[in-house]
Amino acid sequence: MHCALPVKASIKAVATYLPERILSNEELALKFDDWTAEKIEQKTGIKSRRIAALDETALDMGIAAAKNLFATNDVSPDDIDYLIFCSQAPDFILPTSACLIQDRLNLPKSVGALDINLGCSGFVYGLSLAVSLISSGIASNILLITSDTYSKFINEGDKSVRTLFGDGAAATLITPAISTSSKIGHFIFGTDGSGGEDLMVKTGGARHPRTSSTATEYLDDAGNVRSEDNLYMNGGAVMNFTLREVPKMFTAIQELAGWERDDFDFVVMHQANLFMLEALRKKMKIDPSKAPYYFTDIGNTVSSTIPFVLAKLFQEGQITPGKRASLLGFGVGLSWAGCTVEF
Amino acid sequence: MDELYAGLADIFEIDPSEIGSSTELEEENWDSLAMVSTIALFDELFGKEVNIDALKACRTVSDLEALAGA
Repeated sequence: MHCALPVKASIKAVATYLPERILSNEELALKFDDWTAEKIEQKTGIKSRRIAALDETALDMGIAAAKNLFATNDVSPDDIDYLIFCSQAPDFILPTSACLIQDRLNLPKSVGALDINLGCSGFVYGLSLAVSLISSGIASNILLITSDTYSKFINEGDKSVRTLFGDGAAATLITPAISTSSKIGHFIFGTDGSGGEDLMVKTGGARHPRTSSTATEYLDDAGNVRSEDNLYMNGGAVMNFTLREVPKMFTAIQELAGWERDDFDFVVMHQANLFMLEALRKKMKIDPSKAPYYFTDIGNTVSSTIPFVLAKLFQEGQITPGKRASLLGFGVGLSWAGCTVEF
Repeated sequence: MDELYAGLADIFEIDPSEIGSSTELEEENWDSLAMVSTIALFDELFGKEVNIDALKACRTVSDLEALAGA
């Protein structure tokens, strides 16, 4: 008697897209006269970030990333049988963005398509769905698009978040693994909605509709100009949450996988900013050579930060068969998720 | 508390010798970014979680020392 083993899934290809406009530290320093371009870079590790055009949405950017994926890999829209779109900036309240993407990308009408609304943990959550669909035999060529335009939520006078976030998109193709060793697995999840207010755009949903009153700007106690319609981040609470949960998540992944810290070739953390990543890296005792960073000229692109790092590692030829990585996503929700990837 | 002084000196971008218990935080650019960095410092040195409100209530380095020891 034998049992059919579940099909294993692997990350076949990653492509990215960045909008054209560059917002440099020099431009920010002109606006915030108590900061210099050098100080912003020293604290955040970010020199510039990209900003979507006024008429360019997360959906548009996601489509551009997917087109880059099709243009640079041996895969066509006809091959895709499931689409997952992860974003917090849908074009419309309804319909589902993924349905519109099916049409604009000319994906087959037989495709399954859905949105997931998650931020910095979204890529790993998307992977977990893709792996489940593949291992259960439900689908086999899954397009996971992550895309966000936080710049549209951020007040121009809010230096606390404007320095950190950039717009960007990634398209990742997940397929059944060909090599017997490659596999995406060992997922750990976490959710703490009690911290929902620590990273929030309060208005525009059903709970608090936007009004002229919610659009009224005020100066907060940290000297930032913002309104209720803008992105709010409690940096201290997010730092505490991250330092509390992410190292525990990494330990749990190691226990689940039966691997030691040194067995990983890469630990790809959500690319929040330099000081947060360095605090995490030191706490988790990860060698700098195993913690790839990519935010200097793109900032924090929310759910796309991890695929941006993966795309860079692929381009540099650093990802070869047998390499092992852990992916660690964490942020708005509060929500976190991590997994292992064997290439 | 030498490590605390060294860490705070790093955050305030001054020499550790310039830091003492009576150092006024307001004189040292005690902004939200400095507070977030201090949260990471407390975690690293003392394995302790402090919130922004507790840090906002601090006036001098000795207040931070009390928070670290409390």
